Amino acid sequence: MTNKIHTYQAVFLLDNEEVRKGFNQAKDWVQACLEKHNVDVKVLRLWGERALAYPIGSRQRATYLLGWVEASGEAVNEAKREMYLVGPAFRIMFLRADEIPAEEMAFGIEAIDDSAVEVPDEIEEFEMIEEDVAEEAAESKTEEKTEENIDEQAGEKAADSSDESEAVAAGEENKEN
Amino acid sequence: MSSKKDRMFDFKNVEELQTFITPLGKIMPAKRTGLSGREQRRLKTAVKMARQLALLSYGVQ
Repeated sequence: MTNKIHTYQAVFLLDNEEVRKGFNQAKDWVQACLEKHNVDVKVLRLWGERALAYPIGSRQRATYLLGWVEASGEAVNEAKREMYLVGPAFRIMFLRADEIPAEEMAFGIEAIDDSAVEVPDEIEEFEMIEEDVAEEAAESKTEEKTEENIDEQAGEKAADSSDESEAVAAGEENKEN
Repeated sequence: MSSKKDRMFDFKNVEELQTFITPLGKIMPAKRTGLSGREQRRLKTAVKMARQLALLSYGVQ
């Protein structure tokens, strides 16, 4: 087998559970794994966090890591094999490329703040629907309570006014007498 | 032979690829896309890679 060095474009799908612990931690693990297998990492950057077109396992969303590397085919296969067994990446793709684009080279091995990576909680649709229903029920309850309070207050006022009118009428009768 | 430059497709450019996908998630035939044989093969490869990375779905259930 030849050990000719080629350029590859690499895409890693990172588990959001791992990214929540720290994006840089997950990225460093991928980089370390590649370098351990003699893969020369030229570019490694965040491509984005997005929803998956179809669920992979229980995952609905993933963080995409984009990289450009130089390595032999054998090294790439070894790195891939290890990454599928352990680590934050659950799907990996290496694609042969002629050269690394200049605009990609400008990124280099990008280090960004963990807080800059926004990973939303994976809430399944039915849970969201349940929450909406619960909120609506709570809102309707509060509305009912306020209506009841208003009715009670109106009833009390009416009673007070009737008492007052009775008292006035009694007073008038006394005057006549 | 057409004088136009051959079109290239990037698997990361999902919006562009979606224009060549039917509502059921299938790749449109060359008759409908109007692409040359070589371009259609490039499109096929790009779509398949995008599907593998869950950028595009395999089809509608």
